[in-house]
Amino acid sequence: MLRAVPGASVVPQAKPAAPQQAAAPAVALPNRADSFKFAVLGDFGTGDRAQYQLGEQMAKLLARFPFELVITVGDNIYGGERPQDMKKKFEDPYKPLLDAGVKFYASLGNHDDRAQSRYKLFNMEGRTFYTFKAPKEDVRFFALESDYPKPEQIAWLERELDNANEAWKIPYFHHPLYSSGDRHGSHVELREVLEPLFLKHGVTVVFTGHDHVYERIKPQNGITHFVAGSGGKLRRGGLDRKTGLTAVGFDTEQVFLGVEIDKDQLFFNAISRTGAIIDSGIIERRKEPQP
Amino acid sequence: MMTGRDASVRFLLPAAGIIVALAVTSAHQQRVNPQAKALATFQETVKKYVELHEQLESKIADLPKEATPAQIDQRQRALAALIQEARKGAVVGEIFDREARPYLRKLLYGIFAGPDGKRLRMSIQEENPGEVVKLRVNGRYPDTIPFSTVPPQVLRNLPPLPEQLEYRFIDRTLILLDAHAHIIVDYLTGAVPR
Repeated sequence: MLRAVPGASVVPQAKPAAPQQAAAPAVALPNRADSFKFAVLGDFGTGDRAQYQLGEQMAKLLARFPFELVITVGDNIYGGERPQDMKKKFEDPYKPLLDAGVKFYASLGNHDDRAQSRYKLFNMEGRTFYTFKAPKEDVRFFALESDYPKPEQIAWLERELDNANEAWKIPYFHHPLYSSGDRHGSHVELREVLEPLFLKHGVTVVFTGHDHVYERIKPQNGITHFVAGSGGKLRRGGLDRKTGLTAVGFDTEQVFLGVEIDKDQLFFNAISRTGAIIDSGIIERRKEPQP
Repeated sequence: MMTGRDASVRFLLPAAGIIVALAVTSAHQQRVNPQAKALATFQETVKKYVELHEQLESKIADLPKEATPAQIDQRQRALAALIQEARKGAVVGEIFDREARPYLRKLLYGIFAGPDGKRLRMSIQEENPGEVVKLRVNGRYPDTIPFSTVPPQVLRNLPPLPEQLEYRFIDRTLILLDAHAHIIVDYLTGAVPR
């Protein structure tokens, strides 16, 4: 399914100095006029310098690649969530994006107060799980609350996936179904519930966080899983290199993803705090299984 | 609804039913399991707290779907003030009472001593630096300390909670958090082994 992903088995070695690059040249985001462009950010709301620096990289990308929205994969705010905290940990670091009209669509992580679902800039409208159609291309997102996957939510998800006519169905949530993070790792119980639904409904990519690293998982049953859990937090050397799951992993700098969907292709760049493209590639859309 | 983050398996939890079943006096022995009795009492105390919470929460306006941080904070503090007034004089151990405490500690120690115990402790300690903070029943949860992870292996074994309450950890202490009011309802020290 993946192609043009150089260095697919490369796991950059942890070094304290400069970020490592994947071994081969990056695949550029094509930046086509009518494509749908978005970013993915997770585990970010620390208010510290590294978060701001990654925010600056997001603003730099926006200047040349006009993405319309950001999906967050949880742990949006660490610690206090008072008005001054929300400013320091969210509104200020992403001010250029917010000022440019980029919308954030949040999902919640284990460190988040559920009151965030009412925070207007997270566009959750009081819901802890929800779906929305992208403004362009044939794309629908499904923001899940993996802290609280009650039966009602699973039934809702199945119903919404059944009803969705969009070619691209993109779930995102906090806890990774597959991860080489040495702190948390794969969420096997959650996988047992969600993966069959994703397979049944032709899901091609899944975005998650939780482990404070960047990892692109080798396709699992045809689905590519991303762990984008280093949007502010970082666990240096936090990748377990023996899981056999990793296509590309990066655990020495903060990372976000820039993504572009054009018809049946999804292009991605994983961009570090220093602006290096540490992973990139093209993913072809999986076709929904015929009944 | 149960509460506590990282609760990816709450849909698998039959705990409430188990507790009720355990609390029933054995037909043969005509004897109450003290552990089940302690849990049943804990559940009843939680229920009473939630009734109070709901009664007080009904007095304040609901948040709009698109609120500002100030609106969220003000509502949280307004609810906290009502609860703090209603529970004036509340002390540690009112909900984690003397019967429940040893059982909960034993339960948690059992989990943390298990094969995955070290990893679970590390997971809880992430973003939970073990700062020395003075905990106060009915006091605001410290704004400097991120909510801890509560791994599913831990959560599935703890008595289930309604949506208004969550389990959290600060250092080795188990916190019962009012998630809407952001206050500490009760706490249990020594809940996690060193």
